[in-house]
Amino acid sequence: MGMPANDDINRRIEAVWRIEAPRLIASLARVLHDVGLAEEMAQDALVAAMETWPTRGVPDRPGAWLLTTARRRAIDYLRHEALQARKHEQLGHETALLQRTDDDEMERDDESGDNLLRLIFTACHPVLPTDARVALALRVLGGLSTPEIARAFLVAEATVAQRIVRAKRTLADKRIPFEVPAGAELAPRLASVLGVIYLIFNEGYAATAGRDWMRPELCEQALRLGRVLAALVPREAEVHGLLALMELQASRFAARIDSRGEPVLLADQDRARWDKARIRRGLEALAQAAALGGADGPYALQAALAACHARAERYADTDWKCIAALYARLAQVAPSPVVQLNRAVAVAMVGGPQAALDLLDRLADEPRLAQYHLLPSVRGDLLRKLGRLDEARACLERAAHLAGNDRERELLRRRALACTHHPGA
Amino acid sequence: MAYLLTILEPRGQRATRSAAEGRELYARMQAFAAGLAARGVLLAAEALTSEVDGCRLSVREGHCQVVDGPFAEAREMIGGIFLVDVASREEAQAIAADCPAAQWAAIEVRRTGTCYE
Repeated sequence: MGMPANDDINRRIEAVWRIEAPRLIASLARVLHDVGLAEEMAQDALVAAMETWPTRGVPDRPGAWLLTTARRRAIDYLRHEALQARKHEQLGHETALLQRTDDDEMERDDESGDNLLRLIFTACHPVLPTDARVALALRVLGGLSTPEIARAFLVAEATVAQRIVRAKRTLADKRIPFEVPAGAELAPRLASVLGVIYLIFNEGYAATAGRDWMRPELCEQALRLGRVLAALVPREAEVHGLLALMELQASRFAARIDSRGEPVLLADQDRARWDKARIRRGLEALAQAAALGGADGPYALQAALAACHARAERYADTDWKCIAALYARLAQVAPSPVVQLNRAVAVAMVGGPQAALDLLDRLADEPRLAQYHLLPSVRGDLLRKLGRLDEARACLERAAHLAGNDRERELLRRRALACTHHPGA
Repeated sequence: MAYLLTILEPRGQRATRSAAEGRELYARMQAFAAGLAARGVLLAAEALTSEVDGCRLSVREGHCQVVDGPFAEAREMIGGIFLVDVASREEAQAIAADCPAAQWAAIEVRRTGTCYE
């Protein structure tokens, strides 16, 4: 049996890293009180692995190897710092923590869970701008490299690198404690964490049409983070609500794109291609959120909406009354013009196009929707159903003009064209 | 992407262990599963009792045939399963390599999906 090729080893290292990085960084940050520093020590261990594993082989317990190596780097760093500052007492305490050897497991599970939770809350701290939270979370909680994050978000590597450097510096400068928030602080901090996870998911979800495999992987990362969080704070209903929402949306992956890579509308999707296991997990998580008294949470309500679609075996079976009611509730709990827009779509299915158009007219002056292609797109479809074809075509052309990606633009142009060639269709 | 890790043990291996040894290995596997759950990748994990308790069933031309275990023709028996949700085969493989059972059994790594594509 020959030595595996370097490519194989590198892929293995990368895979081990993705799985182990969060716990590794969390464990180091607990001792170093500095997420940025912990991440750098962990990176050093990764570099050491890339240098030694290809020649000496992958160790039996790669995760434990990485932790031991990173701890040694951290001890060296602390010694160096202490020498300069002559803070020997503190050094003794910290190195003792770092030198612990846990034979079998990297750490006791409860302890490592607490550290991971601290890391999640720190990386998603509201003191950081949103894009920095997302980048830092993917870096320290997802084990993604800077170029990978840049590719996933279609921005320059230097931009991401800068966001991460600044985020680490901000956490250090503002002396953000490496702790799980308690009391009144918990709810807004948890909302920030959930927001970051959902942003990561949506970025991947919106881009499933792209050729790059990195972007769909964001969805996997978000789901994984959601599950970790649900296990760590199992009494928080909205965590289960978010998990349900992501599972249910992810269940449609395979059906969202046709064989030529074109997006397929919900109405036209082959529902046999929906992932039944994901739907089941999504419905379970939604039931969990409801059992905890969180059926009216914004994520749970969105999950309930996705569940209405998931439960309909055919598009014609969709319970639009239920959907319109859920949107009405969501519009109260988390009012937004986008929710109103979706509510109008559901109302059209229940009460006809004119009722929906009346709802939409209230959104006409909404500045947040001025550049949003779905408003003229929905309007255009309603007008077409009412037989007002010239107005419909103008709306759909405007929607095509505003659409952010080529495929969607193409789809809207075709719908605009259909208003000319097939009147009454 | 969900992957099924199936543990394929040599038949008769369990009988060579004392009860205490068997419990120790089981505890290690439980700890391994807890670690996967803590990493957010575990969807399901089950250990299976001996195939002596099991049977194989087939229906041909309306006739149901049941063969009770153990299945003499097989050299391996399915000892348990893990269902994990990870981004790539490499990650599924890294998890399998880290599984304690890899030391005494083989682990088959398979991607879930439709069986006609």
